[in-house]
Amino acid sequence: MTQNKNTYLTDKKFPFCPGCGHGISINALNKALQELNYGPNDVIVVSDIGCSGLIDPLFATHTIHGLHGRSPALGLGVAMGVAQKQNKKVIAFIGDGGATIGLQHILEAARRNIDMTLIVLNNLLYGMTGGQISGLSTQKYKEIIDFEKDVPPFDLIQLTHASGARFAVRVNAPNKIKETLKKAIQTEGFSIVEAASLCPSYGMKRMNDLLEVVEHEEIMEHDRPATKIVDKKVHSLLTETPVIQPAFQSNLKNRKGIIIAGSAGGGAQSVARFLALAGMHAGLETTMKGEYPITVGTGFSVAEVIFDHKPINYTGLETPDYFIIVTEDGLNKIYSKLHSNAKIYIDEKLVTEDLKNEFSNLIAVPFSKMANRKSIALAAAAYVLNQTGLIPVEALKEAVSSHRLKDIFIEVIDKVTQQAV
Amino acid sequence: METQTSQKTLIDGSKLMIEALAQAGVDTFVAYPITPSNWMYKYGKERFPQFYAAPDEITTFQWMAGMSAAGRLPATSSAFPGIALMVESINMAYAMELPLVVIITQRLGPSTGSATTGAQGDLALLNGIISGGFPVPVFSPSGFEDIWELSEKAVQTAVKFRTPVFLLTSKEMVMYQKSFDLKNLKPIKKISRPKPDIKGTYLPYKADKTLVPPFIPLGDDNHLVRITASTHDEAANIRKNDPEALANTQRLKDKFMHRIDELSVYDLDHEEGAEKIIVTWGITTDAARDAINLLRSSGNKIDLLIVKSLLPVSPEIYDILDQYQEIIIAEENLNGQFKEILFGVRPVNQVKQVNKMGNMITPDEIVSAVS
Repeated sequence: MTQNKNTYLTDKKFPFCPGCGHGISINALNKALQELNYGPNDVIVVSDIGCSGLIDPLFATHTIHGLHGRSPALGLGVAMGVAQKQNKKVIAFIGDGGATIGLQHILEAARRNIDMTLIVLNNLLYGMTGGQISGLSTQKYKEIIDFEKDVPPFDLIQLTHASGARFAVRVNAPNKIKETLKKAIQTEGFSIVEAASLCPSYGMKRMNDLLEVVEHEEIMEHDRPATKIVDKKVHSLLTETPVIQPAFQSNLKNRKGIIIAGSAGGGAQSVARFLALAGMHAGLETTMKGEYPITVGTGFSVAEVIFDHKPINYTGLETPDYFIIVTEDGLNKIYSKLHSNAKIYIDEKLVTEDLKNEFSNLIAVPFSKMANRKSIALAAAAYVLNQTGLIPVEALKEAVSSHRLKDIFIEVIDKVTQQAV
Repeated sequence: METQTSQKTLIDGSKLMIEALAQAGVDTFVAYPITPSNWMYKYGKERFPQFYAAPDEITTFQWMAGMSAAGRLPATSSAFPGIALMVESINMAYAMELPLVVIITQRLGPSTGSATTGAQGDLALLNGIISGGFPVPVFSPSGFEDIWELSEKAVQTAVKFRTPVFLLTSKEMVMYQKSFDLKNLKPIKKISRPKPDIKGTYLPYKADKTLVPPFIPLGDDNHLVRITASTHDEAANIRKNDPEALANTQRLKDKFMHRIDELSVYDLDHEEGAEKIIVTWGITTDAARDAINLLRSSGNKIDLLIVKSLLPVSPEIYDILDQYQEIIIAEENLNGQFKEILFGVRPVNQVKQVNKMGNMITPDEIVSAVS
């Protein structure tokens, strides 16, 4: 690429229409950078689509040219990426058209306040597609063209200020743009400069006309330090997954599947995990999975556990061998899976005449008398292990022993299994 | 004699995938939570040196692209609704040739569908995701060892080919826990972004015979770097359809196709004399393994092909399938998306499909499809 001396611009001719205001802002930025003494390798210019995006080939700095409306987000990504290098400055351009596509990105960048500068070239309209109005077209301009007068424009300066931008400025007078940009670039943190820019093809023909229709100039600042980016120290996730050496024996003959059906907050998921761990303590292969509504705090909570001596491939459980049903939510959820060849352990309060008539294999147990709402699934699981001998109850106690509530859990297990004896 | 004692643990696929990506060199995770990839988010927050909670999926991808352009190695995880928002940005990163990894945890569609129900319905989307008919690497793990190895492969591929790479998994694969022996995990080699030594002017899209241009990050002190998503020449000057720019665009496909053997991953479980083969991928592999055992134990001669690099389709897959009289393709979607990629939508005599939605395909359903 060709680079002129003492300039951050290439020798490419500006592609803008005669009289276009974008050139003024680009020259102002070039001068601002010269006065601030950045090296070309320290500046990364981010651009997107639209007339403002045509700046990409003009800068003899690092450049990245992306999607319409995304330069604030792409630029913030670059800013995060270079944050730990010395003295790098990300300067993103966007037009008023792109600014509404990427409004979320702009507010997010303001909120994060990571060091970067966003220059919004506001020519009040979509210059590349026929001069349609934009979300930043001013009230006065819309009155002149008599379109959407009842819809106010976004005020990017107010919005970004409210979101936490360190420095947010609207500038209309061409002779102020350079100084404003210098201040923005020197600001550590997120800065935004909205510069009024004449569109001679579709909007105003003369600078004076433009200045009559733009929003008033505004400077809004926060005394807020820029967010620093650091790499945090991390460690392997595998160090926290306990390795299990089997110390118990299982009476399991062949593959068995258990369904635990309860309600949110009743521990069905943790109990299924305890059962799976207990199986492993007894030398078995196991899989465990849960199902619950998206609203995790209410409704059913169902978990499946499979045990086998052999490695388990398919983890589906169409016909469970054991059901442990402790609440009505749970019962309703798994009702269609109940079948006459399973052992169906169910809280006695849930047994109705209809259910008894349909399934002669119900085993009614007073689970709700054995433990409170939070421990009922654990009590039921302990009961079933004790009755079936599938896995030693001691293996279940071993499984809960690393939990912070182990004392409570062991008490629940002991109470149930001793009662049963 | 056992040389290494067992290291059995109860673990889920999300944890293995995040750990593998971190060990392979991913240093940044950006995500917006979405079921069923929330465990990835949780683990990602702990495991990567940088983690960003993005406000939406478009921002997610733009941040990743920016960080990748600056030399970091980012990953994300999402599901169809989030991926749908990312599509334009995925195209951007593809055209810019930025390495990054995207995990897709498939769930039942269309639209919001069922967030907690698994599926294998997003392969067709990935097959056409880059406008213009360009291939993007898609790896799909068939089990926990694969999750480990293909995560490493995904990072390796992203860096080696300068490209976004997809890890296509599903709710059931990453949200169940399983007794698993950690000693089955092969050591992972950390992949670093290469630092090419370039004398003179750097042309960011000038490739050597590998067809992959050497990468220098934005902000480099010695070379000015230009990156663009618009049609461009070797110097990243935006051009329309002139021959140099079109050649560069053509290269985006050729860089994969001329080294497709390096992308190809599959397992062929072959039995002498078999004339039938079950083909599957992803979560249906578990059922297919059981089905094969059932079929063989009742005297059938049948093979199993587990395809792990789904896209671009390796010619090896056709070489294998050409050997069989009957091909049964099992996948948990409505139309048979891999089947359609391999054979088109027109029914083919020797090809049978086992498809389903809303529940995993069972071993019996595969068995009963075999004549």
